Amino acid sequence: MILVIIEHTGAALKPNAGELLAFAARVGADFGMPTAAVILGSETTAIVEELQTRKVDRIFIVDNPALAEYGPEKYLHALKTIISIQKPSIVVTAHSARGMDFMPGLSVALRKPLVAGCVEYERIGDRIVFTRPIFNAKLNMKVETREATPYLVTITPGAFPADVVPNSGTPGASVGSTVETVEVDFSGVSSRRRVIAQTEASTGEVDLSSAAVIVSGGRGLKQKENFSLIFDLAKALNGAVGASRPVVDAEWLPREYQIGSSGQTVAPKLYFAIGISGAIQHLVGMSSSRCIVAINKDPEAPIFKVANYGIVDDLFKVVPVLTKLINDLKAK
Amino acid sequence: MKIISCIRPVPDPASRLVINESKTWIKDQDLSLVASEADNYALEEALRLKEKHGGEVVAISIGREVEGKTLRAALAMGADRAIHLVDEKFRGADEFATAEALSRAIELDGGADVVLTGVQSDDMGSGATGVMLAEFLGWVHATIVIAVDVSSSGTLTVQRELEAGMTETLELSTPALLTIQYGINQPRYASLKGIMAAKKKEFKVWTAADIGLDRAGAAGAMLEVKEIQVSERKSKVEIISGTPEEAVTTLVEKLRKDAKVL
Repeated sequence: MILVIIEHTGAALKPNAGELLAFAARVGADFGMPTAAVILGSETTAIVEELQTRKVDRIFIVDNPALAEYGPEKYLHALKTIISIQKPSIVVTAHSARGMDFMPGLSVALRKPLVAGCVEYERIGDRIVFTRPIFNAKLNMKVETREATPYLVTITPGAFPADVVPNSGTPGASVGSTVETVEVDFSGVSSRRRVIAQTEASTGEVDLSSAAVIVSGGRGLKQKENFSLIFDLAKALNGAVGASRPVVDAEWLPREYQIGSSGQTVAPKLYFAIGISGAIQHLVGMSSSRCIVAINKDPEAPIFKVANYGIVDDLFKVVPVLTKLINDLKAK
Repeated sequence: MKIISCIRPVPDPASRLVINESKTWIKDQDLSLVASEADNYALEEALRLKEKHGGEVVAISIGREVEGKTLRAALAMGADRAIHLVDEKFRGADEFATAEALSRAIELDGGADVVLTGVQSDDMGSGATGVMLAEFLGWVHATIVIAVDVSSSGTLTVQRELEAGMTETLELSTPALLTIQYGINQPRYASLKGIMAAKKKEFKVWTAADIGLDRAGAAGAMLEVKEIQVSERKSKVEIISGTPEEAVTTLVEKLRKDAKVL
């Protein structure tokens, strides 16, 4: 069994659920294993209904008021219970802020291997060899696990596209998964960590992880005021705005816009990198995008190595023309 | 308050990486090693906590170079003493084996109130080692920390970054481990005085046997490296030339008809 730990907001599945199920479906087909999803939460009915529209064989629910708020100790406790009963071969979740907050601890608690940030795998006989990026994705490392199963895996956003998993589309219209409730007693779990407050992103910005189009600007914009060029193009494309790290460090934009190894990892359908040279820290956060357009006056800029289309010219000349063309096309 | 700052030596970011003959790691013998970038922020945060609340800062590292240059640099920045784990047996460690060795050393040194690590290393880059270390120690942890505060009762209030610009504020009991996000502070440079003072500071060197670890490095790892490869660039860029007007017209055409993303 492949056990997928589903990320959710408390009210809905996170967009990465589709990618996790895509990974599970592929491994399941390759190794002849059933797929299962686990939801840890409180008042999970809506999330479970949403999950039932996805292709997964079994759904395990731990629904407990103790899980209304995420905590790594509670997660480890619940997951150890399920793993000891179901004995999955692979336990997978996203390589995300949440996933990397509890999966390494689960690895140590179970004394089982963790392949963190998996981007690919291959089946060799009965064995599975995982690929993970190292040195900021300059190199790839292929690894095998030493211990007996379960193997723990976190998958890099964008590495296993979601659109291959059938989705019935109608909430509540099950595609055949069985739902099983697992009772877990949380009374003995210590609470050495307590959430005091959560802040939302400062404005109603589009969540970059779910944006279909992202327009990102870098140091090439020269000053904060010029970012209006990026916002105008993003608006024309109904897209979201992103930024490279120097832009955020210079305080032209708040940190929530940052894309890259110390910001968000994104994989939109269409990504514009404008005035971004393409430091590896940025590339690792966006190189899984389906189509990348780079606009930069330096033909040697590393961004052109990952781009599909490039315009080597002054962004201040190109971007306004592009924005106008998109707006004109929309008006037609 | 005793604060331990974990430092991972990695090749200088300007280094050219060459894969070794067995394809299991890079040729790092001749490369100049520096502290992994995020670990500098962690060390700076450790020094600031000490300056505000008193106590000591201990820098710890698993060495790949005998002289411990990155730890010497940490002492020059202001750490009070250093523990260097040096042993051929530590070679081939994955995050799990690294975390286990660090936990043994921290326990042998009498524990701490707070352990700080960088959010991720510049080489493995997974962000796993810190959380694993917390679990080996049996401590509570917080990841991707962007602010740290200590209350009079000794509990920690930390702010951590989540996705999409969200943050959360946590209260943690000590001892605790925090993984520190890039940009939390502006790491200081070592002063000449600091560099001179560093030479007189305590510098312990421990082997795998010293910390009571039978299965260290590759022998204690959960993952076995099969092969390291240069990652392939997935696409060859198509450069679109012409005046800005011509170029964007061609681009939009291609995005619509060829790439079908518009």
